[in-house]
Amino acid sequence: MTEPDTVDATLRALLADVLGLGEERAAALTEDSGLFGALPEFDSMAVATVLTEMEDRLGILIDDDEIDGEIFETYGNLLAFSLRKVTD
Amino acid sequence: MAISTPEHVLRITPTGPPRGTILFVPPLFEEANRTHRTLVLAMRALAAEGFTTLLPDLPGQNESLVPLEQVDLASWQSALAETSTAIGGPLIIASLRGGALIDHQAKAAAWWRLAPVGGASLVRTLMRARVAADREAGVTSSLDSLQAEAATAPLLLAGNRLSPTMIAQLATAEAQPVTPLRTVALGSGADDIAGTPLWLRAEPGEDTAMAKAIAADIAAWSTTCGIN
Repeated sequence: MTEPDTVDATLRALLADVLGLGEERAAALTEDSGLFGALPEFDSMAVATVLTEMEDRLGILIDDDEIDGEIFETYGNLLAFSLRKVTD
Repeated sequence: MAISTPEHVLRITPTGPPRGTILFVPPLFEEANRTHRTLVLAMRALAAEGFTTLLPDLPGQNESLVPLEQVDLASWQSALAETSTAIGGPLIIASLRGGALIDHQAKAAAWWRLAPVGGASLVRTLMRARVAADREAGVTSSLDSLQAEAATAPLLLAGNRLSPTMIAQLATAEAQPVTPLRTVALGSGADDIAGTPLWLRAEPGEDTAMAKAIAADIAAWSTTCGIN
């Protein structure tokens, strides 16, 4: 599960599941696509669900102090954070 | 804690004499709302197959008059056990997600579980939602500070005021062994059901195909268990 492509695919599927994006919108996400604050579905409960699902599906543990607003600003930031966590 | 207040039960019945009864145990907290519509579609499909289907409110949830902070997993387990003993004829318990944490004290001919989840994962998500909401409001909290707070006083998590006992029980709760049991996950394998994890969805959705697949899988499991 440490391949970048796998992490990217896992993350897109996860956001599709939590935000109800559908496969097309999830596939169309780019590095610059805004998440928290940009997608109306992305509220604080969705943030919490995404974090727990990231832990389950990527096999990582995320500490409180690793999470700041920036991680959820764009898809690129979330992907970069995930890739860093799986290679830790 | 014994809770005697009768809770609302959604009941969908077949037109003829029932083959048996399916007692659904809903997911816990917000996940129950997200899955409700699809669950009721599955109940309708099972009723069309000749089953009586029941979806009870857990004390402290939905239309219940019991304050949520007065209940815990143990009281939910006994409430379901009480509901199950009042049902005549063959009974199958069908639990979704966190419902699988409270279904084992019921008296049943068989159990069926969809995507069971540990209590620790549920409470972690609820606490994270509180941390994220606090951050938006300019308040600093953390999983640690919330856990410390939850040790002595009820804690408001994503709209749910949970007692210290509830949070402590959730932290270690796992689905307990029961027999005969069929556990299914979402996916495309032999023991999987095709569909979307609506319980994760930020806004309630509906999956008609998954409702039909749930009904078909439960009906087949019923036959396997000799309930025809």
